[in-house]
Amino acid sequence: MGAHETSDSMLPIAGEDDIINARQFARETARRLGFGAVDQSRIATAVSELARNVVRYAIDSHGIVVIRGLNDAERGTGVEIVVSDEGPGIANVEQALGDGFSSGRGMGMGLPGTRRLMDEMQIDSAPGRGTTVIIRKWRR
Amino acid sequence: MIAQPRPDQEPAPQQATILEEQRRTIRELQTPVIQVWQGILALPIIGSLDTARAQDMNEALLDMIVQTSSEIVILDITGVPLIDTAIAKHLLETVAAARLLGAEALIVGMSTRTALTLVHLGLDLSGVTTRTTLAKGLELAFRRLGLEVVPRARANPDAAFADAGDI
Amino acid sequence: MARVPIIEIAGLLVVTVQEELHDRDALRLQEELTDRLERTGSRGVLLDLSGVETVDSFLGRLLTEIAQGARLMGAHTVVVGIQPSVAITLVELGLELQGISTALNAARGLSRLRHLLAAEGGRGRT
Repeated sequence: MGAHETSDSMLPIAGEDDIINARQFARETARRLGFGAVDQSRIATAVSELARNVVRYAIDSHGIVVIRGLNDAERGTGVEIVVSDEGPGIANVEQALGDGFSSGRGMGMGLPGTRRLMDEMQIDSAPGRGTTVIIRKWRR
Repeated sequence: MIAQPRPDQEPAPQQATILEEQRRTIRELQTPVIQVWQGILALPIIGSLDTARAQDMNEALLDMIVQTSSEIVILDITGVPLIDTAIAKHLLETVAAARLLGAEALIVGMSTRTALTLVHLGLDLSGVTTRTTLAKGLELAFRRLGLEVVPRARANPDAAFADAGDI
Repeated sequence: MARVPIIEIAGLLVVTVQEELHDRDALRLQEELTDRLERTGSRGVLLDLSGVETVDSFLGRLLTEIAQGARLMGAHTVVVGIQPSVAITLVELGLELQGISTALNAARGLSRLRHLLAAEGGRGRT
């Protein structure tokens, strides 16, 4: 069925330059997993949004991106990307996910857009606990 | 005439390439994009339009726009029996994406019932140009491109292609 | 790192983005473009994005801002070269870049600008 990523690949985020690194890394992984051009773009863009949040809001702009291929009996091949940081956390996750959230951080966090591009998204975040966003996309 | 796209030119490991080729073939078979004239594409949409199909349709269409440098795309929804919010949104997305590439998408085949449904749904259709038939869409497309269909040697010059009114 | 060149052709400003832009490069481009518009009084900007593989919400909004800024300075903006994948992704993000004209390629983009300016009976070279 082709080459799958079965082990995690990690990329640290330490500053603005890593936004492009992270999304190119995600695009290349998606390509190798057999995702089409448009899905590669969706995945790269989603990772770009999440990586930028880390750079903007995390302590010292530090965070980490973990990418791995998924292989599920029912859903087939997919990709899972985890973006984690130890920033201030999101006070109200639901609000940040709502399209109508337009003040300051909400506008810049790109979470609703990221959700639309991906098949699955989970956010684990709270003030003082940092933020972990998990996104998944399945190949059609 | 269905224009054939060029094969994938990206360097890639064999399997990823084969998958993409297969995917492309399936897309082409399911969503025939027809080049009706230099610079004019037509896409007849038959049946229902779910998210997966709409995405395939967009990809095939946008690739064709680039490859044929077509400025006008005619989306024919005559064959779509039921328009709901989801389908309407997909169509609007197609129009918006085509515009980003530099092409204008017209929607034709709009029945009275469909028009009323769309109005009821309250969607913003202000940026969309529509016509009731493919023929009228084609006429508008020719006009946009600065073309005119003129009959040869006619005794009555007034019988030249009728002007369908405003744009 | 990447400094995007702004070239003047027949009174129009042409910007060709050939690689991925870091946020700071994009912001610098916005500044330099505004500056050039002020200095030259150019009435048109052509932005060629054919070298850009990913346009996320940051760049998408910045493009809209660039066009708005150009308009305030009396210039039209035409964007060309948006790749199909990028177009689909932008639309799915909910960014349709309204207020920005588009064209199929650079040549048509330039002719579109000339057309827009001629329609206005604009001053200057075009």
